[in-house]
Formats: sequence, structure tokens, C-alpha cells
Amino acid sequence: MKCALGVLLCAAAFGQDAVPSNSATVDLAALELTAQKRSLEWEALAKDMNDRMARMLPCDPRALAAVAEVSRASEARLAALSDYLRAVSAKAFAETAEVRNLLVAEERQAVETRLQRADAGQEQTAVDIQSDALAQSVKRRASLEVPEKLLAQIAATIHQRAAAMEQQTGSAEAAVALLRDLVPKFEARDAAVREEFAAAESERARWNGYYAARKSRAQIECTITQIGASQPKGGKQ
Amino acid sequence: MKYSRFLVLVCCAAGLIGQTGRDAYREAYDVWQQTQANLERDAGTGAAPQVAQADRAAAAVMAFEATRLAYLKSSAENAAQRRRILQTTTTRSSPDLMPPAVANLASAELKTVTRAIAKFAADKDRGIQQLRQSMERERAALAALTDTIRDRQKAVEATSAASVTLEQARAKTAAAFAEQTSQFSQTVAQMDVEGAAWTAYYGKLADAIQIANAPVAAPVVNTSTNVTTAAPRNASVSPVPLVRYLGTWTYPAVNGIFHGPQPESVALEVQAQNGLANGTIEARFKRPTGSLDDPVVRFKFAGDIAATPTQKFTLMTSDGAAGVVELIPGPAFNLLEVNFQTDPRANKIRSGNFILVKK
Repeated sequence: MKCALGVLLCAAAFGQDAVPSNSATVDLAALELTAQKRSLEWEALAKDMNDRMARMLPCDPRALAAVAEVSRASEARLAALSDYLRAVSAKAFAETAEVRNLLVAEERQAVETRLQRADAGQEQTAVDIQSDALAQSVKRRASLEVPEKLLAQIAATIHQRAAAMEQQTGSAEAAVALLRDLVPKFEARDAAVREEFAAAESERARWNGYYAARKSRAQIECTITQIGASQPKGGKQ
Repeated sequence: MKYSRFLVLVCCAAGLIGQTGRDAYREAYDVWQQTQANLERDAGTGAAPQVAQADRAAAAVMAFEATRLAYLKSSAENAAQRRRILQTTTTRSSPDLMPPAVANLASAELKTVTRAIAKFAADKDRGIQQLRQSMERERAALAALTDTIRDRQKAVEATSAASVTLEQARAKTAAAFAEQTSQFSQTVAQMDVEGAAWTAYYGKLADAIQIANAPVAAPVVNTSTNVTTAAPRNASVSPVPLVRYLGTWTYPAVNGIFHGPQPESVALEVQAQNGLANGTIEARFKRPTGSLDDPVVRFKFAGDIAATPTQKFTLMTSDGAAGVVELIPGPAFNLLEVNFQTDPRANKIRSGNFILVKK
């Protein structure tokens, strides 16, 4: 438990500014937990910000502080989300690269399987020739009947294996075809994650814009109240 | 010891026999085919040369099967390693990080500010107009924010959909490769059986040729050191072809297998005649630090060829110590295990156990 909390705190501490470039070392679960935690913190502050401000006087310093606090929480939430999505994107990208490499290797392997099938065919032919030759020899030497039977069994096994390899070649090609179709799906997932990351960054900018506008309104509320209050004073002078 | 030694021998044989690679096993296949060329045709009329050819063919097919199996197993291991990616659930972003509260909050703020703007719409007071303008800016910011929140919701949905599609396809592809792996394993297992069957076949073929040529009662084994003209077989003597013991053998320069003192070099010569075998060994052992033992052992041995796979002979070292030596055929035709013991003598190595490779 302590360990998990430690990981969470660590991830939260370093996750704000940078995500390690090596996606394999990133603990996505920890980054997700941090993002969720920051989101809850922001939500708790943001939901009643206007109610709290409504109970304050326009120039109450706590009003601006309240907006600043929610704005900071919002930025922390969106930064944690950004760290998380960046890490997801990096990991997804690495997976896609690995699957592309796998496709190259499996295409090569499929060629190899076809060659092995051809080898089995060659063995089949060779054992058939041996069997025919031995059948001729058995006519001259009856003692060769025992090896002839053994050779017939071997020939049967090789024929069976050649048939199995034929099927295997088909399976290998089918599996490679599935893999070939899988690569674009990995790429589509990557593109979707990148879109999501871009959307989150846009949202981050918009939230910052909104809180800047909200802070500006609080300042104007204060300013116009002060103008109203300072006018009678100036009249006396 | 016997079983573990057998395993060590098998591993050693695999290492010695073959490099792993398709070319290597194809080469071994060609060697086998050349070795056994016309054997079945000539079996009907042949004699001792065909028996020797059958022995060589058995050795060649064993080498071929061992090389091929080593290649296929290594290939299967590599495939299993690289296909691991297909066994793992793919990465996706969590949809939980797009809680409805985000959109609700922005939408509620937008409504509130819109209502406030409407309330101040008719007010001509300059300060109120300033406030209304700032609220307009706030409303614009919130409207833009609401749009981006909607966009992100769509992006999250798109990621989820892409991830689900990907995950289904991954599982299907993984299943296809698992099926292929299973078929491949069956084929490899079948090849294992074939290797043994070929060896048995050549043994029976050689026996059959010999039976046809043998005199009614063959009294002794007539052997030669020349592998290409192997001795006629006699079921009453060694059950293993004599070529498995005869000839010149050496300790490999690398990856040598031994038990006890580590050899540096070993040369073994074995001959046989009239059912008797004799030979010489000259071995140099690595001397452990601080040891004063003489690292060189030389001895001669001789004795009857027994009707067992392990041949045991008495020996006499160059300095007169007596002892025994065992010659045990290795798992491949070109491997021979040697195990010797001599009477104890000061500063002399008195035992050794190692595997030699045929020259």
C-alpha cells in the first residue's frame, strides 16, 4: 500500500513536466491515477467557485485567489492528462513499430515455411525412389523384407508430414494475412490517440482562456466598485 | 549420472553436429542423399561395402535430422519470442479521464454567464457595460471551451472504437499464430520420430544385407579401421556398428565435454581385428593451480569386443600403471565417450572422462 502510494506520489511529482522518453519505463497506471486524482481535486474546487465568490465582496482578495486556485488545479489536471496521453501515445507507437517488424519477420517466415514444404516434397520423392529400388531388391533377397516394411512406414510418415506442412503453409499465409490487416488497425489506434492528445491540449488552452476571462471579470467587478466608491471622495476634494 | 550424462551428450551432439540454419540442414540433407545413393538398388546384390554404406547413411541421416531439428527449434523459439506482442492486450487511453462533470461544469458556467449578460443588457451604466463586456468575453471563452470539450469527447469515443476494433483483430491474429505454432510443434515431433526410424531402417538394412552374405556360422568379427569398408556384422558381438569405436578421435578445441580433470588435448586411435580391439590414448590435461601432477597420460589398451554397447578394455600406461578404459558410443555417430581409471601413482592423473569427436 505504502509502495503504491509512493509510486503514485513519485509519478505525480515527475509527471508534471516531463514524461521519460522510454515508453517501456512509464507506468501508465500510475499516470492514470495521478490524472484521476488531479481531476477530482479540480472538480471539487471548480464546482462551487462561483457560489463562493458570490458570497465575497468584489474586491475581496479571496475572490481573485479563488479563481487562481481553481485555475491552478485545472492546469494541474490538464497537465497530468497530457502526461498520461503522451505516455499512452508513446507506448502505442512502440507497439505499432513492433508489430510492423513482426510482419516483416513473419512474411520472411512464411517464405521459409514454403521452402520447408518444398523440402518435404523433395524428401517424399527421394523416399519413393528408395522404396521402388528396395522393392526391386527384395525380389532378389527376401531378407530385405524387414527393412522394406520399415521404409514403407517412413515413407508413409513423410507423406503425412508433407500433407501437414501443406496445411501449415496455408495456415502461415492466413496468419500473415491477418497480421497484414492488423498493422493498419494499430496505426488507426495510434492516430486516434494522437487526436485525443491534440484535443486534450486544445481543451487545456481553452480552460486557461476561460479562467483568464473569469479572473478579468473579477478584476473588473472590483474596479467598477472602486470607481463607484471613489467618486464621492473626489467630489469632496 | 547416466541420465544426466546422456542429456549432456545430447546437448553436446547438437552443438557439435550443427550450426542452426536452413543452409546447414540442407547441406546435411545433400550429404545424406549422396551417402545413401543407390543403396537400396545395390542392397539386392551387395555385400560388405553396402553394409558400410548403410552405416554411413545412418550417421548422415542422424546428422541431418539433428541439424534440422536444431534449426527448427531455434526458429520456433525466435517466433515465440517475437509473437509475444500478439499475446498482450494493446494499449488504449482510459475513457474515465473524460468525466461528464467536465462538460456539465462548463455548460453550467455558460448558462450562468449568459443569464447575467441578459440581466445587464439594458443597463446604460458605464461600469455595468464594462462588466457586461467582460462577461461577453467570458461567454465566448466558455463557448469555445464547450466546443473543444465536445471535440475531445468525440476523440475519446474514436479512440475507444479504434481500440476495440484493434483488440478484436489482435486476438484473432494471436489465435491464428497459436494454431500455426501448434501445427509446427507436431511437425517437429514427427521429425524426431522420423530420425529414429531412419536409423533403425539402416540398421535393419545392413543386417539384411549381412544375413544374405554371411556364412552359416560366422565365428568372429572381421573389422577394419577404414570406415568406408566396415566390418561384416555379427549379432553375437557388439550391437553397435564397430565404426562407432574404430578410427582416430580427438578432443574438440572448443566446447569440449568432460567430467573430472579437464583435458587440453586427447588423441585416441582404435583398431580391431578378429574380434579384438586395441588402441592408444595420449591425453594432456589442464593442471589446476598448485597441482604437481604430471598433465600427460599415455596408455595402450586391448581386449575382446563385447556384445554390449560399452566396450571395456584393460590398459597399461607408459609408466607401467594398470587400469581400465571404457569406450561408449555417443549420441551421434561422430562422438565417443571415453572413461578411464588407473591404479594410483604419485603425481599422476589416475582418471578421466570426456567426449571425443571422430577425425
